Amino acid sequence: MLKSPEWELMIVWYFFLGGIAGGAYFTAAIADSFGGPRDRAVARVGYLLSLPLTAICGILLVVDLGVPLRFLNMLGKFSFWNPMSIGAWGIGVFGLFTLVSSVLSFSSSARRVVLRQRIGLVGSIFGFFLASYTGVLLGGTAQPFWGDARLMGALFLVSGASTGMAAISLILFLTGGAAGEGFGKVKKADRYSMIFELVILAIFLALLGSAARPLVAGQFAPLFWGGLVGLGLVIPLVLDFVGRRAKVLPAVAAVLVLIGGFVLRYVVLMSVQA
Amino acid sequence: MARTLAMFTDTSLCIGCRACQVACKQWNELGMEVPEWTGTYQNHAHFTDQTYRLVRFVEEPKPTGDLAWLLMSDVCKHCAEAGCLEACPTGAIYRTEFGTVNINPDVCNGCRYCVASCPFGVVAFNESTGTAKKCTFCNDRIHNGLGPACAKACPTDSIQFGFRDDLVTKAQKRVETLKGMGFKDAQLYGADSKGFLGGLNAFFLLLARPSTYNLPDSPKLPQRNVVVDSLFSIGSALVVGLGALLAFRERGKGAGDA
Amino acid sequence: MTTNLIDMQNSDVIMVTSNMAENHPVGFQWVMKAKERGATIIHVDPRFTRTSAAADMHVPLRSGTNIVFFGGLIKYAIDHNLYFKDYVVHYTNASFLIDPGFKTPTELSGVFTGLDDAKRSYDRATWKYQLDAEGNPKRDLTLKDPRSVFQLLRRHYSRYTVEMVERVCGIPRAKFEEVAKTFCGASGPEKTGSITYALNLTQHTNGVQNIRALCMLQILLGNIGRPGGGVVALRGHANVQGATDLMVLYHNLPGYMNWPLRDAHPDLKTYNEKETPKGGYWVNKPKFLVSLLKAWFGDAGTKENDFGYDWLPKRASGDAYSHQHMFVDMYNGVIKGFLADGQNPAVGGPNAKLARAAMQRLDWLVVVDIFLTETAEVWKAPGTNPKDVKTEVFFIPAAPAAEKDGSLTNTMRLIQWHERAVKPPGDVQTDAQFVCTLAHRLQKLYAGSKQARDKGFLAANFTYGPEPDHPDMLLVLKEVNGFATQDLADKDGKPMYRKGQAISTFAHLRDDGSTASGCWIYTGVVNETPDGKIVNKAAGRKPADAADPLAHGWAFAWPANRRIIYNRAAADLAGKPWSEKKKLIWWDPEAPGAAPDKKGKWVGLDVPDFNPFLAPDAKNGDKPFIMRTDLVGAFFGPLADGPFPEHYEPIESPVRNLLSKRQNNPVAKIWKVPDGKNELAPVGSPDYPYVITTYRLTEHHLSGVMSRYLPMLAELHYAHFTEISHELARELGIANGDMVTVSSPRGKIHVKAMVTNRLKPFIVDGKTVHQIGVPWHWGFNGVPGLPGSKGDITNDLSATVGDPTVFIQETKAFVCNVKKGVV
Repeated sequence: MLKSPEWELMIVWYFFLGGIAGGAYFTAAIADSFGGPRDRAVARVGYLLSLPLTAICGILLVVDLGVPLRFLNMLGKFSFWNPMSIGAWGIGVFGLFTLVSSVLSFSSSARRVVLRQRIGLVGSIFGFFLASYTGVLLGGTAQPFWGDARLMGALFLVSGASTGMAAISLILFLTGGAAGEGFGKVKKADRYSMIFELVILAIFLALLGSAARPLVAGQFAPLFWGGLVGLGLVIPLVLDFVGRRAKVLPAVAAVLVLIGGFVLRYVVLMSVQA
Repeated sequence: MARTLAMFTDTSLCIGCRACQVACKQWNELGMEVPEWTGTYQNHAHFTDQTYRLVRFVEEPKPTGDLAWLLMSDVCKHCAEAGCLEACPTGAIYRTEFGTVNINPDVCNGCRYCVASCPFGVVAFNESTGTAKKCTFCNDRIHNGLGPACAKACPTDSIQFGFRDDLVTKAQKRVETLKGMGFKDAQLYGADSKGFLGGLNAFFLLLARPSTYNLPDSPKLPQRNVVVDSLFSIGSALVVGLGALLAFRERGKGAGDA
Repeated sequence: MTTNLIDMQNSDVIMVTSNMAENHPVGFQWVMKAKERGATIIHVDPRFTRTSAAADMHVPLRSGTNIVFFGGLIKYAIDHNLYFKDYVVHYTNASFLIDPGFKTPTELSGVFTGLDDAKRSYDRATWKYQLDAEGNPKRDLTLKDPRSVFQLLRRHYSRYTVEMVERVCGIPRAKFEEVAKTFCGASGPEKTGSITYALNLTQHTNGVQNIRALCMLQILLGNIGRPGGGVVALRGHANVQGATDLMVLYHNLPGYMNWPLRDAHPDLKTYNEKETPKGGYWVNKPKFLVSLLKAWFGDAGTKENDFGYDWLPKRASGDAYSHQHMFVDMYNGVIKGFLADGQNPAVGGPNAKLARAAMQRLDWLVVVDIFLTETAEVWKAPGTNPKDVKTEVFFIPAAPAAEKDGSLTNTMRLIQWHERAVKPPGDVQTDAQFVCTLAHRLQKLYAGSKQARDKGFLAANFTYGPEPDHPDMLLVLKEVNGFATQDLADKDGKPMYRKGQAISTFAHLRDDGSTASGCWIYTGVVNETPDGKIVNKAAGRKPADAADPLAHGWAFAWPANRRIIYNRAAADLAGKPWSEKKKLIWWDPEAPGAAPDKKGKWVGLDVPDFNPFLAPDAKNGDKPFIMRTDLVGAFFGPLADGPFPEHYEPIESPVRNLLSKRQNNPVAKIWKVPDGKNELAPVGSPDYPYVITTYRLTEHHLSGVMSRYLPMLAELHYAHFTEISHELARELGIANGDMVTVSSPRGKIHVKAMVTNRLKPFIVDGKTVHQIGVPWHWGFNGVPGLPGSKGDITNDLSATVGDPTVFIQETKAFVCNVKKGVV
């Protein structure tokens, strides 16, 4: 007897791209601050990827509104414990960080680099926020399984990480940067993320119990098990281990991870609103 | 802050005539909607962006072979702790000085978070205005010394309007009377301000369990878990960040080399 | 109704036989209040409706078996000694002795003495009292004489056993006994019960007898004229009471006097002789008739010309012009022109296909209505080629109630005045405007006529106020109320009224032309001070309070603002209330009397429906039923089809009559219509095995003109539907929501099936009989954006058959077939 908010494809894309943006940014920041000089390419790709994606996210959010011209009304309030409210603020602030970090990523002056590293670490907080808050937002609704999902934010965050890292590695592969050491490291980070994602997913489902029915049984079950778990997590992990030498397979794995990330948001949103 | 106003809908007096449903539509100048087939007299199946007062018809066959036809005029509950109000990021949803919950149609930008956050499925999205809609508790009327249109139209006084504390006292007496008349499942829903959602400012007297009327037996404020969920997310971030750190860190070299 | 809605809260038990909660929702609040005070609410209805939801007990009975039900209750009350003995002995004709030649259906295989089968009528010669030497009815106050009405009643209903009720009505024995015990037990001095009815009892070929049975039960239990008692007749339209009060009936003059017959009443003197009874308040009828003629013809009506009596058109004797008669005549080409003012017979009357075919044969048709109704567009009804219809159709847009000043008289005889809320738009006219404009134009057309018969019409007044075509409705109400046509004084010469002043009571009306009154029962609704200030009592809005619980200051109830009629019956022979709890009016011997030297008056909580100064021990001081010739309530009441109600099956029925060998009412009116337009199914026809009843919903109004064009009402129901039991649906393979075809020998309709627990099959004499219900609000016009606001016309299924007294149709019980799908 509840009502669906009709958050459909536009919002699915927003969740997906927002996760990549946030995940790519904090990966870039960690590579920037803790990695070596050969990881600079990872950092630059991560920062530069997050900027346009964040802009697109902003546009998607505005266009999805019932009255897009009133999007600024979102900034009329600041309720700290309201995910939608701080989300509006947060994406704006994060966007600024992606812009500054992207500009600074072309710099090699030592002072700029240090500044960039510090800014990156601070911006990562916002990156983590962007990747995860939409899950907390869903968890704060009255909807049948969203409202019961305590780990939705955590899940979205780790998925943001895995897709962000996969996106970086794919871009590196496509631009010929796959030979660098950074490629291997980001893939390693990605593997850690994917394993953690499987763990979170398992706890997520366990905590939900029968409330998880819309996801794991019913018409969305094939997409969930096949698309997300199989294609999006298990198979890429296998490919990654198997194809450590041949770069193509890890690239294929990256694509699959991205697909899996899209499927996750798709089934979460649509299984409640179908 | 003025004394809290409330609507008390006593379903034991409802004859299902729908004067309330029509009076609401007329007063609020709500539009025509093509009805759907529900298999019963009820239309519509649930609240919409053009139907704020809705009469529900529930046939309840009894083990004795008799039949009960539960008739209930449902409405926005104007919860003391309102999921829609907590959800709204623009401040469009606000509480009036009378305790009622209203949506400012000029501020709402149609994000639909309130639609997703009502435990009763009341708030609805209007495609043509692009904003969220629900019962206003006849906001214009109560600010001009009048009661809601539905209460005025009700021929049997099933819908009563007044100060909340007065109505709760009345309702409590009424439940006892009904129990004495043999309605052993008679119960109040939302009268207790120490109960769920801090009490409802549109509360009910039901003749059966809430779930019989498709109402949640114990609705909860959907925002109660935001803190916990956020903590889990932060924990996840720490683990992920650690993993990335382990993957990227340079051994034997200082961080931040150019 | 004999009582009023507010008073229903005083009932100890209420038997609702109509669907009151759905069709009289505002009035039903008083039933709810009675329930709050501990009353038991019994709902008797073939369907479980919203009324049943509010009732303590739902009693399903097969449509068309009401007399068996009431007869069973009458027998139960007599057998178990639950009747109010003193009331019955003194206030009814139970003790009167009947002509020895009279026999009941118990002895005569289902008919009364005097039946002429060929003529389909009764010779009522034996249906009369035995008279003593002075010409008064002989009585046996012990009620034991075998020729007493009471014993005849007992013999007549001896067949109406509890078992018979079960076999015929389908009411399980235990349930019926519970109803009987509860309702009949709430009788006597300390308790009263009320019974409601509406079209559920009227729309049968036994319609009048159904109501008689209900009334008889109520006087048996002593419920008439007492608080919480009464016969609650629920009229089916906001102003139908006002309409019938003011002669929207072919056979009446305003105030329920008979319309003169050409052969039987050739002049005023003959009319007065034949129509004025020897006893009862109708002895004053000549005063009412002359006052009416003065209102209509004004100064042109004088003693010399019988006040214009000859100018009244007369009914040809033996002919009736009821709705059904009219449409058969129309189809047969007898009626060439038709004015339908606020009436939609294309949908609303029985055998609607015949009605539409009839209207398509007219030369001209004028429709006055608020929307383009199916009648206004009868020339493009489905299945009609407009080219085949030669009728010239005129449509006059009309104003609904909110756009007019005026009064509405509701079911409790309450005349309530209202001011218009908005002006009608554009050219739209009020009904009064239309009638007066038309009348003035016709008077101009006829101005040069020398014919005697046109004199009356030319003399008639249609101007009320400064604008001839725009009548001031308050002036109309004043004329209906009545006024003095000259200065009037009482018999002592004391001035009573000046010329033109409103009369305050019908007791002051005279038969010498000095008073005028458009409707004697309304006299008193308008008062006028000596200096000419008009007080419109119908506009009063003082609510009920502790001092006046019947709210005499809220509008005006005819007659004379009496809220409960026959209220003398609330007191015993000595004039004391039967009980303190049920007091209403009583005789106060110390109160000032009619003259300064006299004492004694009836006082209490209502206006006495009685001569207020007639002492209980005076002659006729103990006879409450003042409108009846013999001043007592009637168990024995000679009507066209019998003095006692007898059960006959509806003209179309799936089962045989178990009460007697007579299947149907032997004098019911059954029309023969050419071209197979009124085919009837034989008893137990396998082609039409199910009982069908038609009814109304809260959300819609009659033929849908006031609801199907309004989106916020029309959207409350998805579309036209029929209610079917799960059992029948299973038999026919029908699921909830399937389209089905309901057919009868007259036509068929396609509607959605609503399969519900609220209908159950009946067990009639051991066999299953299915019954379905179909509302009749839908027609082929509606709201353009709401497809469900249009639908097939249910009345295409009903037949042209009628009750023998009033010719009302039998739309509550006939037969049909149901098939899955659109066939």
